[in-house]
Amino acid sequence: MNEDVKQQIHEKYERELQRGERFWPDSIFKDAIMALALFIVLILLATFVGVHDSPKADPSDTSYIPRPEWYFLFLFKFLALYGQIPVLGKIEWIATALIPGIAIGILTLLPFIDKSPRRYYAKRALPLGIMGILVWGMVWLTLLADYPTVAPDGSSTPGILQAIAGIVIPLLAYIAFTVMAYTLKERAPHGILLTALGAGALMAGFSLLSMILYPLPAKETAEHPTSLVDRITAGQDLYSIHCLECHGEDGAVKVIEGVAGLEGTVISPISSRDVLYTLNDASLGEIIAYGRPDLGMPPFGKAYNPEGLTRAEIDYIIAFMRHTWDDRYEMPKIQPLFPPLAPNEVPSYEVHITPIVKRYCLSCHRPGKDSNDYFMDTYENILNSGDNGDMNVIAGDENSFLLQVIQGKPILNPDGSEAIGVMPPSGTLKPDVIEVFRRWVLMGMPRTAEEAATLTWPTP
Amino acid sequence: MQNFWKNALQWLDERLGLNELYQNLLDRPEPLGNWWNTLGSASLFLFLLQVATGIFLTVYYNPSPDHAYDSIQYIMNEVAFGWLIRGIHHWGASLMVLVVIIHMLRTFVTASYKYPRELTWLVGVGLLLLTLGMGFTGYLLPWHQMAYWATTVGTQIAGSVPFIGEFILRALRGGPDLSALTLQRFFAAHIWILPALMFALIGLHLYLIIKHGESHFPDKED
Ligand code: HEC
Ligand code: HEC
Ligand code: HEM
Repeated sequence: MNEDVKQQIHEKYERELQRGERFWPDSIFKDAIMALALFIVLILLATFVGVHDSPKADPSDTSYIPRPEWYFLFLFKFLALYGQIPVLGKIEWIATALIPGIAIGILTLLPFIDKSPRRYYAKRALPLGIMGILVWGMVWLTLLADYPTVAPDGSSTPGILQAIAGIVIPLLAYIAFTVMAYTLKERAPHGILLTALGAGALMAGFSLLSMILYPLPAKETAEHPTSLVDRITAGQDLYSIHCLECHGEDGAVKVIEGVAGLEGTVISPISSRDVLYTLNDASLGEIIAYGRPDLGMPPFGKAYNPEGLTRAEIDYIIAFMRHTWDDRYEMPKIQPLFPPLAPNEVPSYEVHITPIVKRYCLSCHRPGKDSNDYFMDTYENILNSGDNGDMNVIAGDENSFLLQVIQGKPILNPDGSEAIGVMPPSGTLKPDVIEVFRRWVLMGMPRTAEEAATLTWPTP
Repeated sequence: MQNFWKNALQWLDERLGLNELYQNLLDRPEPLGNWWNTLGSASLFLFLLQVATGIFLTVYYNPSPDHAYDSIQYIMNEVAFGWLIRGIHHWGASLMVLVVIIHMLRTFVTASYKYPRELTWLVGVGLLLLTLGMGFTGYLLPWHQMAYWATTVGTQIAGSVPFIGEFILRALRGGPDLSALTLQRFFAAHIWILPALMFALIGLHLYLIIKHGESHFPDKED
């Protein structure tokens, strides 16, 4: 750039300053309003949207689908689409290192590549066109990020559509822009503008086509607990399912009963000070993850047991154990397991039985457990499954096996030996829980809260 | 009384040069601007907000795999207004990336990177990369599943660079796998190394802007 041009630039700038504004207060005023607006937006987002959390990191759970922050999504998508290209797609570093490297290099050196002093938009159609398509492409790659590249039937059509939208059309557009800039001369800006609009529309079109033809797979939104109370409750449920059969509801079992292979094993009660004071959270977590294979406790960590618990779940159990049994911890206020019954109220499966069964029975009575094939995982199964399916739950009958065994009356064989022991085998249910089961069976096992509301429990 | 303040102010001015500062920093002429010109100072505001909320978070945050997650839960559930501070820091990070990118696009569209503001742009690219680096390192700190696996893949990508990839991967992770060392490293980068670089580059950026003045919006003459 020669001195004359520099001189012209400075003179023009002086003229602009003459008819301009003052930094203080004119510009600062706008800056302050902008800052305030952003601050308010942030407070609203923090208050009403909050931070979406995911469970604690678990190196053993490799099934987790990684998802970067939104501003890196376009890169992830680009890599996924690039990987689909035959032959070239196998050379990973072209997409992961070379192309981003070149892009950052060009961006950095931009002032030294684009050295012409021209600043007016129409005189800079080429760089503006390229940047426009680049940004537009990044927007669509970001929007497409979660859409599958392979259709459910295995065809790669969605991936191809997306690659056309996000890679092929932009590439063709860049080439067309460059050719136009050097051949069309004065009419180049016009040509580039029209091409850019066309290419932009095509990119949007192909992306939308892929989105409509191959929509997002239904997402399983697994809620996970965050507040302490939620974590303790989750831990209690997990404990009931996985640990209760051996350690008992209150963790006080000293002799295991009703568990095949461990009948009569003597264990230390895990709710005792002895255990809780000697084991810190880390060793507790390890015992749960590795189990005590030599003594009969199976491993529960996902790394050793595919159906096992994640790190987060183990932490919930520990939180439950600490806050319920360890006298150094204070129990926060916890919602009752089920809403207490009014004198005439009839409980329902949905509201009352589900949480009770989950807490006290499901650990043994679910598929894969040998408890007379009596599964309590669904409404139908509670009513009908089991070796004594026709006897377990009989509407209106106090002699239903279920009601008998939870009230401490085992079912006896004709020869007087025990056919079905008391339930749960270790410990007895609290009277209010037994009352729920009784009213429910005697009033005909209503399923929904609405059905239950039509019934009244006769008070004597 | 009035005299006292006047004297005090004069005393300070003689020693600090307040008047000079006022004239050089604030009372400057500028070309006519509009809302697009607020994005740079908006980036600065968001950066300072991140610094302030970030300092608060480090009071409770513990950068170890065993405690990172729980310390964040503690901030969210137990600390008074912890949820608000973390929420602002979380959303502020996203907003800052967005605002910095739009700020860059605005200086690109108005060709503000041309003579005499080439270095302003160069420093700006450094700031963009640092901002993204802050996002990348900060994302791992809560040590939750999403962060852990995204960082695993992210560092893998860095590791695919020919020849030096293996070295980059190990330097980022502090070993072959993500571990306590990785978390420690990302934490150090997120609260010390990258912010220190950013402060330096922002200082330079601002000096250059004051030196050359804000560019005017181009018209047919330019
Ligand atoms: C199949 C039966 C069984 C199941 C299910 C089971 N445990 Fe155990 N557990 C044992 C046995 C046996 C021992 C060893 C007895 C001992 O150390 O006194 C044990 C020991 C322990 C100990 C160590 C006690 C000590 O003194 O060191 C803890 C803590 C523990 N279990 C917690 C759990 C938790 C939490 C669960 C649920 C995730 C669970 N257990 C599930 C059988 C079981
Ligand atoms: C520690 C494991 C365990 C728990 C917990 C448990 N059960 Fe059982 N249950 C068994 C076993 C084992 C049998 C098989 C009969 C036997 O061995 O006594 C059984 C049998 C039954 C049967 C008879 C099923 C049939 O068709 O023969 C009923 C009814 C029953 N349980 C109800 C319950 C209820 C209700 C609860 C929850 C309050 C419960 N059980 C909790 C282990 C358990
Ligand atoms: C942390 C990030 C950044 C901060 C805090 C910041 C701050 C600022 C401020 C306060 C201004 C003056 C007001 C304005 O023009 O908006 C400015 C101007 C400028 N910035 Fe940035 N900036 C950042 C990132 C960037 C990036 C990523 C680029 C480009 C790669 C960039 C390039 C420029 C240029 C060229 C100017 C001069 C604009 C003109 O004179 O019209 N900046 N910046």
